This record gives sequence, C-alpha cells and structure tokens, in this order.
Amino acid sequence: MGGDMVVNVHTSARKLWQTAASIKTGVVLLILVVIFSAAGTIVLQRPNTEPDEMQNAYSAHALRILDATGLTDVFHAWWFLTLMILVSCSIIAASVERFPNAWRYFSRPYKYPDESFRRALYPQAALAITDEETGLVAAERALHSLGFRPERVVREDHFGIFAERHRISEMAVYIVHASLLLIFFGAVVDGVWGWRGTLNLNEGETSGAVELRDGATRTLPFAIRCDQAGQENYKDGSPKKWWSKLVVVKDKRDVEKKEIVVNDPLVYGSVRFYQSSYGPNGKVEKFSIEATPTSGSGAKREISLTVNETVSLDADITVRFAEFIPDYAVRDGQVYRRSNELGNPAAHLVVTSKASGKNFDVWFPPLDEIADNSKAPYQLQPTDLQMGHFTGLQVSHEPGQWAVWTGVVLLGIGLAFVFYVVHMRFWAVPVRDAKTGKYTLWVGGSANRNRDAFGQRFDDLVALLDEELKNIPKAAPSEQAATVAGD
Amino acid sequence: MARAKAEQQQPTTGMTLIVLVGLAIAFLLFMAFLNVVKSGNLLNETNLLFAALIFYAGAGALYLGFGVTGTESYVKFASLATWLGLIANTAAVAHRWYEAGHPPFASVYEMLLSFVWTLAALTLVAEKKYGVKVIGTVTMPVAIVGVVLMQLLRTEVHPLVPALQSTWLHVHVTLAMLAYAACALSFALAMMFLIQDKMKTETFLAVTSASTLAIYASVVFTRFERWGGLSLVAWNPEQKSEVFLSKGVRLFVTIPDLGWLMMLALLVVASPLVFYGLARWKNKDFLALANRAVFLSILIQVMALAMFLVRASDGSYPSLDADGLFATSLAASPFILSGLVGGVFLSLLYLLLLWRRPDLERLLPSSDNLDRITYKTICLAFPLLTLMIAAGAYWANQTWGSYWSWDPKETWAAITWLVYAGYLHMRVTRGWRGRRAAYFAILGFAVVMFTFFGVTYLLPGLHAYA
Repeated sequence: MGGDMVVNVHTSARKLWQTAASIKTGVVLLILVVIFSAAGTIVLQRPNTEPDEMQNAYSAHALRILDATGLTDVFHAWWFLTLMILVSCSIIAASVERFPNAWRYFSRPYKYPDESFRRALYPQAALAITDEETGLVAAERALHSLGFRPERVVREDHFGIFAERHRISEMAVYIVHASLLLIFFGAVVDGVWGWRGTLNLNEGETSGAVELRDGATRTLPFAIRCDQAGQENYKDGSPKKWWSKLVVVKDKRDVEKKEIVVNDPLVYGSVRFYQSSYGPNGKVEKFSIEATPTSGSGAKREISLTVNETVSLDADITVRFAEFIPDYAVRDGQVYRRSNELGNPAAHLVVTSKASGKNFDVWFPPLDEIADNSKAPYQLQPTDLQMGHFTGLQVSHEPGQWAVWTGVVLLGIGLAFVFYVVHMRFWAVPVRDAKTGKYTLWVGGSANRNRDAFGQRFDDLVALLDEELKNIPKAAPSEQAATVAGD
Repeated sequence: MARAKAEQQQPTTGMTLIVLVGLAIAFLLFMAFLNVVKSGNLLNETNLLFAALIFYAGAGALYLGFGVTGTESYVKFASLATWLGLIANTAAVAHRWYEAGHPPFASVYEMLLSFVWTLAALTLVAEKKYGVKVIGTVTMPVAIVGVVLMQLLRTEVHPLVPALQSTWLHVHVTLAMLAYAACALSFALAMMFLIQDKMKTETFLAVTSASTLAIYASVVFTRFERWGGLSLVAWNPEQKSEVFLSKGVRLFVTIPDLGWLMMLALLVVASPLVFYGLARWKNKDFLALANRAVFLSILIQVMALAMFLVRASDGSYPSLDADGLFATSLAASPFILSGLVGGVFLSLLYLLLLWRRPDLERLLPSSDNLDRITYKTICLAFPLLTLMIAAGAYWANQTWGSYWSWDPKETWAAITWLVYAGYLHMRVTRGWRGRRAAYFAILGFAVVMFTFFGVTYLLPGLHAYA
C-alpha cells in the first residue's frame, strides 16, 4: 500500500510536471492572460477612473459584481497575479524540461556523422574523389573560402571534416525566456518594494514628504527644494516646456542641483523626480501698488508687498497686506473665502497711522459695503499682481527596474539570435565503396532555421568543392595539402 | 463543370467591380478638383494626400482588375500607380515634417501618414523582391482606408506637448509603424495563401454574411427610432464625454432618416444568407446569386458607413428625451462605428477569396512559398513589436516615472505581442503550417488594427495624444 502511494505520488508529480512543461499549457495560459487583460481595458478600471464616472457607467448591481470579481482592477487582482506566476512557472518548467537536451547539443557538437545520420540528412551530395586526402583537403579549402574554420575529425580509422557557425543560436530561445523571467522578476521587485507618489513644491519651498498613490505620506531621508520653476509656451499658448531648478538638501546642506524638464528627471540615490506639471499655487508672490497721498501733498510712491508684509509710506503711515482671498464672496457685510481656486480674487490691505492710531481697510476690488477705500490717508491703486507657482513632481522608487532593462536588452539580443542567426553545420566524409573500391566524398549540411537560404549556401559549397577537386591534382599532391590542413 | 460555370459568371461580376471602382475614382478626382479650386494652391498637404489617394485607389483598382481578370499588364500599371502614390505620399510626409518641425508621429493623423507610407513601400518590396505580385489587392485597400481616415481627422499642425519631446518617441513610433506595416503585409500574404490553398468559399460566405447580418440587426434593433431615425449617444465635445441625463442614463439624439438606410442595409445584407440557404437546400445555382448579393451588400454597406461617418461626426440633432439640439460624435458610438467598418472589411475579405481563379493561382507563388514568406514577415514583425514596446516603456519611464502602467494602449500592445508569440510557438514547436498559421496571421493583424485604431477611439487611457 505504502509503496503504491509513493509510486502514485511520484507519477502524479511527474504528470503535473509534464503538464506544466507542455506548450499546450503555456498557450492556454497565454490565452487566459490575453482574455483577462483585454477585459481590463474594456471594463473601466478603478485606479484611473473617478468614482462618479464608475457609477454613471454601471448599475449599482453590476458594479458590485464587477468589484467583487476584481474586474474593476484587473491588473492588481490576486487572480491576475496568480496567472502571471503560473505563466512564469510554465516558462521555467518548459525551459528546464528542454534545456538539458539543448545543452548537450550545444556543449558536445556532433562532429562525425555516422551512417544512419548520413543517410537521412538533407541536403547532402556525393562527389567522386581519387583518394581520402584529396577529398578532405578540397573540403577544407572550400569551407575556408566560405569563411568557415573547418576542423579535422579523427574517429578510429575514419576521417572527416566538420565546420560550424553560430552554435550559440541553439541557446537563443533560452536567452529569450530567461530575459522574460528577468523582466517579471524586476516587475515583482518593483511591485513589492517600489512606490510612486507626487511632490508639489512652491518656488522656494523645501519638502521631503511625498504623497503616495494610496493617500499615505512617505518622508524621504532628504528633502528637495525648488529654487525656481517655469513654463515656456508656443505661440498658440499651449505649453512647450516645463522646467524646475531642484536642489537636494541633506543634513541642511545642498548636495545636488539639477534643472529638470519633462523627460529628463533628477535621480538621487534610487529615487527619481520627474517634472509632471506646473501651475499657479494660489499664493501671491508680489502685489504692486501705487500710493498717492489723499491730501494731495507729497509724491506718488510705487511699492510692492507680499502677504503679511508691512511697508512705510511716510514717517507716520504704514500699509500692510493683510489677506489674499483667491475666490471671495460677500455676505452680511463679511468677506468669505469661497474656495481656494484662483477665480475671483480679493486683496485686503490695512493702512495705519501711528500718530492717530487709526486703521483704514482697503479692498481690491473696492468693496463699498465693507470699507470705503477713499477714506484712507493714501489712495492706493493696484498695478500688478504676480502669483506664485508650484511645480508638480512625480516621485518614484523602482528598485527592480535594472532587472527590467537588463531583461529588455537580453530579450532584444535573444530575439535577434532566434530570428536572424542561423546555426549552420557542414560535414564532409570520404567514403569507400566496398564493391568497387572507389572513393566518394560525402558532404552534408544542416541549419536550424531558414532552410531555403541554407540550401542555396549548400549548393554554393558543392560547386566550390567541385572546383577545388578539379584544381587539386594539378596544383600539388599531398605535402602542400598537408600544410593547408595544418593552418 | 462547376469550374466552367464559375468561369462564365466571373466576367459580369468583374465588370461590376471595375465599373464601381472607376466611379469611385471619378468621384475622388472630382473632390480633388473642388479642393484645388477652393484653396487655389496646388502643392499643399491636402492635395498631395489626395493625389496619393487617387494613385493608391487607381493601384488598388488595377490590382483588383488583375485579381479578377488575370491580365498581367495591369500589374505593371498598378505598381506604377503605387510608385506615384508613394511619391505623393512622401511629399506629403515631407511637407508635414517641414511644417511641424518634427517627424510626423505626434497624432493619429500623422501616424497614419507614416503607416500608409510604410505599407506602400513594403508592398513594392514584396512585389519586387518576393514576386508576390497581387499583394496590392490587400494592402492597397488598407492604404486607401488609411488615407480616407486621414481626411476625416483634423490636420492642423499641433506643437508637441512637453511629454512628447523625446527622441524615444520617434524611436517608439518608427518601430511601431514598421512593425504594423510588417503585420499588414503578413496579413495580406496569409490572404494570398488562403486563395492559393483552395479554401472553400461557401463556408466563408456563410460566416461573413451571418456576421454582417448580426452587426446590422443589432444596430437596427437597438437604435431604430420612429420615422426612420437612428439613436446615438449625445456627446459633449468640451468635456469629451457622453451626456448623462441622470446616473447611468445616457441621453440619446436621433439622426433623422439614417435609420431607414440601416434598415435597407439590414435587408440587403441578409440576402446573401438567404441565397446561401437556398443553395444549400434547393439548388447550387443560387450560390451565384448569393455572390452577387454580396457585391450589392458591399455597396450598400459602404454607403451606410459613409452616411454614418458624415452625419455622426458632427452636427446637432434633436432628442426624444430632452428639448433642444445636442451634438454627437463618432467617439460616442464606438461600437456601431467599429461594427460597420468590420462588416465592410469582412465582406471585402470574402470578395478576395471569390477571385480565386486558376490563372491567379498560376501568378501567385506556390502556397508553400507564401506560407514561408508570411512566416518571414512575422519573424520581422515580432522583434520590431518587442523593440517598439521596450522603447515605449523606456519613454514612459522617462516621462511618467513608470515603465508599465497597464493603460489600454500598452495592454493591447502586449496582447498583440502575445498573439504573435503564440503563433511562433505553435509554428516552431507544433509545426503549424498552412491554413491554421494563415488564420493566426489574420487574427494577429486584426488585433494590431484594434490596437492602432480601436484603442484610440474606443478605450480611454494615457495615450490620449496617440
């Protein structure tokens, strides 16, 4: 009984392995990946859709089912991950199953063709020769002139010539599959240890707190300061370029500086900062006003303020920029902040006389029900309002991306070998006919792909051999042939 | 006997087609003339494109003529027309490049321009190098559809938004165009293979007519309104979204009279299937009628598609559910649009099979050779697809800080890659040859087309500018 169990387990394990390694399993898995990822592009996905839009698109019931099955976030669903793991397993199993054979083929090239191999090989040809040596020398010369490096193979009492090129091509498929696994590995590393987020900085601001996609905050061991940021426009007003001058601040020292633009990130340690947006931050950078004394005596003055800054207009009078409201509304004699969107801004200034201790409110735009601007000892006139800007940075940490890029490069190389590098082999063996005692030179060739082009090449070789065989008896017999063979 | 009968029936159908194509060219020439008169400028991009269109159409017609009649001299003129079209196309690309200051890869319009160019160039290569003379019968219609689509899309030069200012963009898109053109070529070769491989046409007829019938039936049954209108979802052009009356309830507008046309199309499209049924159960002779009905159905389908494109692309229409006029857009009716295009395409594929004639078979390379060349083009397309995806990933990493974000375009590029990977595995390890491999190549191209057009218009995503 126990023995049977062991055998059963053994056979079912073997069966499982064979199923995993079969091409059929691989193709079925690929079809599943195709179906589910297609579903992930047709069903709206939660990560890139507003909740409102989701509710518009599907009924509550349908949405509940879609959410429960994970179809609203296919690419992060556990079953999709499982599928990808199964694909990896299938690739590994298929490669492990087939690799030993291929490796044997690769590491111990088949150099001397035996009789049954010679009978079955295509293409092949037989040429009449006078003796073994002539045939071998002719074969060597012909292969040389085709750019091969022929070698003489000695097996007991037989001789042969073997030449090959691009044996590595036999391994190409494994390079391709290994590189795919490397890419998957990198992606998994990034999925587990990597993170992405955004960092919005006002000009002059320093921060190391990155807002992650799930809403959490990640504090970096260093901080980033944005010295300056800007936008250049095309003539039609659409943005041409966004740039930010960033400084990495560590232990209160500036350790690195870079002006980044879209497509050219700042890399510090393993964290990358990408320029992704730029825009007004709703804060005032500079508010310029023209001040004229109400009494009419005294000169006109041009001043500029930031929020909460106080400037003296003369020995007695000062003006303070009390408040800036990006979007205001007036109700019951009060000014409210309606939102933080810069749409309908109002500025509140306070003019103070030290001597009288009186404060005068000044509003722009003039709000007559709140304050009478003309009562102030100075008449103020706004001339310019410069808003501050923020730069939007994407921050990402992808520790696995080196595996991904290495995999991609390997994949490219592997595919180039798979499709365009042909493993070609040629054999030449002098054969003596047992009945007549005459010699013929048996020539055969094989290629692992692109066999039509190889057939042409083989025909070329045979033609060359023919030529060589005609020349050799005239040119020189064995001594010269031996030197050629030796080189 | 049967073959002799087929021979007799050919000249009439052949003539019908040539007349149709001739009319189409005359119409295009007329449009081109109007355009030149309107702009008063001969050498601008629109005119160059029109020239390319006319030459491609001419080439297509001649290739068709060759396919139908087997007159070899047609091919010479067809390649001449393709050359001329390619020259006009090159000039249009150069003009665009000069005007925009960047290679023409930044929008769907510009990519189509490059795609059509590559396709025409590859057609000539296939013809000259591999001797696949009739390849143009498949590639030229694709090129024509491409140029016609370009006329529908806007053509202003847009400056590149910051994300697109990267060398990797050009690498990515160049590779994509090369890969897609190679896929188109492999598709054309697979079709040639099916012709050469003596595939039975009747089954294909049944499948084609049933699918087109299903398309029109679903359009008519779900969208036909009283008094012959056709309901389409209203579209808000500013927000680029559908218009909702309330949660989950879309606002529909009714385009007058378009419903009648769809109804007519439904009836005409149904007729080949009826004749096929009759041929199956009563008398084989009905097959000839079924084939003619297919020609008629193509005509009506093209008309329905053209009217749909013209009327649904812009304009304001009344709605039954709300007062006032509302706009609609092709983007609001993606499934109807793709259904109509798919129907025409399927029927055209059937036409191609129908022209299988002994002399055409003689002119084509052997089916073994076609099979091998199809495989070779896919061996070219697959590494290009791989590099295209890799370059795109690298570029995305430079721009968005992430090499893979599963946006629909990316996902579909990966699906395309997987389909071709499946093809290669089946071929190399299972020895899939011939018809199954040809079906696979056709499927692969269908997926490519969906990735190229379908994703852009049907599915939302990051690739908004592509």
